[in-house]
Amino acid sequence: MNDLRSLKILVADDTDADRLILETIVRKEGHQVFSAKNGLEAVAIFQQQHPDIVLLDALMPEMDGFDAARQIKQLAGDELVPIIFLTSLQDTQSLVHCLDAGGDDFLSKPYNRVILKAKIKSFNRMRDLHRTMITQRDQLSQHHQRLLQEQAVAKQVFDNVAHSGCLNASNVRYFLSSLAVFNGDVVVAAIRPNGNMMVLLGDFTGHGLPAAIGAMPLASTFYGMVHKGFSMSDVLREINKKLKAILPIGLFCCATMIDFNFRRKRIKVWNGGLPAGMIHHKADGSVTPMRSTHLPLGVLPEKSFKDDFQFYDVSEGDRIFMWSDGIHESRSPDGDMFGEERLLEVFAQNREPETVFEEVLAKVKHFIGSGEQDDDLSMIEIRMDSPESLVHPNHYFIHKQQVSPVEWELRFEVKPTSFKSFDPLPFLLNVLTEEPDLRGFSGSLYTILAELYSNALEHGVLGLSGNLKKTPEGFAEYYAQREKLLDDITDGFVHIYFAYSANIDAGSLTLRVEDSGAGFDFNAHQGKAISTTGYSGRGIGIVEKLCRSVRYYGSGNKVEVVFVWINDD
Amino acid sequence: MAITSTVSADGTQVTIYIQGRFDFSSHQEFRNAYEKLTKTPSRFRVDLQGTSYLDSSALGMLLLLRDHAGGERSDIEVVNCSQDVKKILLISNFEQLFSIQ
Amino acid sequence: MSETQHLSYDVLNSLKDIMEDDFVLLIDTFIQDSQSRLQTLQQLVGGNDRDSIRIDSIRRDAHSFKGSCSNLGALRLASFCAVLESKALNKNVDDLGVDLAEIKEEFFIVRKMMLDFIA
Repeated sequence: MNDLRSLKILVADDTDADRLILETIVRKEGHQVFSAKNGLEAVAIFQQQHPDIVLLDALMPEMDGFDAARQIKQLAGDELVPIIFLTSLQDTQSLVHCLDAGGDDFLSKPYNRVILKAKIKSFNRMRDLHRTMITQRDQLSQHHQRLLQEQAVAKQVFDNVAHSGCLNASNVRYFLSSLAVFNGDVVVAAIRPNGNMMVLLGDFTGHGLPAAIGAMPLASTFYGMVHKGFSMSDVLREINKKLKAILPIGLFCCATMIDFNFRRKRIKVWNGGLPAGMIHHKADGSVTPMRSTHLPLGVLPEKSFKDDFQFYDVSEGDRIFMWSDGIHESRSPDGDMFGEERLLEVFAQNREPETVFEEVLAKVKHFIGSGEQDDDLSMIEIRMDSPESLVHPNHYFIHKQQVSPVEWELRFEVKPTSFKSFDPLPFLLNVLTEEPDLRGFSGSLYTILAELYSNALEHGVLGLSGNLKKTPEGFAEYYAQREKLLDDITDGFVHIYFAYSANIDAGSLTLRVEDSGAGFDFNAHQGKAISTTGYSGRGIGIVEKLCRSVRYYGSGNKVEVVFVWINDD
Repeated sequence: MAITSTVSADGTQVTIYIQGRFDFSSHQEFRNAYEKLTKTPSRFRVDLQGTSYLDSSALGMLLLLRDHAGGERSDIEVVNCSQDVKKILLISNFEQLFSIQ
Repeated sequence: MSETQHLSYDVLNSLKDIMEDDFVLLIDTFIQDSQSRLQTLQQLVGGNDRDSIRIDSIRRDAHSFKGSCSNLGALRLASFCAVLESKALNKNVDDLGVDLAEIKEEFFIVRKMMLDFIA
């Protein structure tokens, strides 16, 4: 009866009769037997046959059981090969000797078949368990290796994306432990065309690759947009939109983003879900916290996203700190959390602002002490410097921009062949929004352009009267006529002219539209309030609200509007 | 611009979605969305999620809708407005005539 | 106290069950084994000096012999071997010759009983 698969069993006994009995018993249990008369033979046969279990007589000539056992255990390596000593030795010392030599059990003489069978079964079970454990251990190890490799690749890719930043600027100091990177912390910083520095510290939920995956689109979006002059709102919105689209529900990125205006000594802060950063004032050592007032990135849909900021005025030499929750959540060996109070203590006790950064790190490391945790710390310090003393390798900032304005003009004419089929508005709007300063106003600019162009085309070139639009049917009739007139038109023009002038602080866009029509008596229409009831006629009123000035000239077929803005950050 | 619309199961509310620029070019389609219904709804929603730009002709079209829906007695919501769109609507004092979100 | 039973037929019978056709072979093997072991012991014990290696060899051989005797059910023989083993362990070399003679005598009895059994 064999409820055990057939094993290979090595039997080593120097007494022929005993060996014979054992061989027979083992064979009858359904296993394959190999025999040895002494220790030397036993080791040799073990090497050749790799038996599953070894039965060794303790006292043998040539090499006794103990030495044989030691050698066999060594040869077996990682594998568990149970060794059962065959002995009638009864004294404790001898039995201990057997175990020391690597023996796992004893079988005493006279040999008992039932007992031997039970031991074989038991050890076989142990062998299987052991083998499973080794396999799993190896799998785990391989898996871990692979994970580490993936981490390294992710970090490399991330570094490649991030190299265009200004994290090595002279007024920036940061610390990102490798565990923090593994846990999804990311830091990006770049200089805007206007000289401001934008910094974002993010902490993705999750660990390892899932967390790192979010970091890359965040970084590439950040660097792409900041260099092109997009505002902090735009960058935040875009990052939020991307993360919301990419990340599964429940994953998001807590972040603090700060825009540093070194000329105005002012910072703009958006904090969604990270612990409060701190402004450390050089003058008196006091700290101002910058608390979280928003939901993290990647949670809200675009329409609900809030991009309002906190403004803080600071002085030269003040230091602004941002960190993820790694510091606050570091644990001492007793299990206490570091918390915000201890952090504030470092600031309170500090005498030299220059060293606060190191003091914070030192205090956290000391707090963790011999605790099992690796440090999971992300921290960045930016010092408010004067723009002239700012030094960093990749800077785009041009001092000249402060003093002299940027100016350009653009002329555009729509010809009769284009009136019907070509809509100049998207084209012109695209051109305008290449100018970073104008990007935030694309909605208003569209409305102004649309208004002036449609007036020029419809009232000017086509001669349609707005009076038609007094009734719903008239409204439809107006546009039907518009279609028809456009079909037939063969001459006329609409000229569009832009003049852009802007510097660091403010700018203006002058827009002139001239049509080939007869014009109208513009003096008679001055100062009208915006109609709330008519289906039409409010267009110019809106343009007047959006622009600094609206002026008709010529015969009323020319209009000039001036649109202005201030770079209030 | 592209116009789509949905009607609630009981026919009392219609939602009109505008995709792209909101201007006169789809004037007829816009009218069709609220005029050609078997049952006249009591509530109207204009969803501007897909719209970033609008001009004065769009404002006129909203007013046409309002008059069709009963003028003073109408119940019209203009929802999912971007910042730019909302600005134009507010400059025109349209919050006095529509519920704007 | 020495064991009084020369040969356990219970043991022999269960061995017969296990060994089946090889049972006779087993008995023969045992008898051969034992004879050569007795010869070795004779030589070792005959040497009259107190060489500790020799004494250790006596101990080991007595121990081995004891083992195989017990496997074959020769209980009294096994107990005599135990005595010899114990004395050798304690480096007591007095009258080892007497102990060995006793062992030999017992072996002859056992051998006859075994041969009768397989006849």
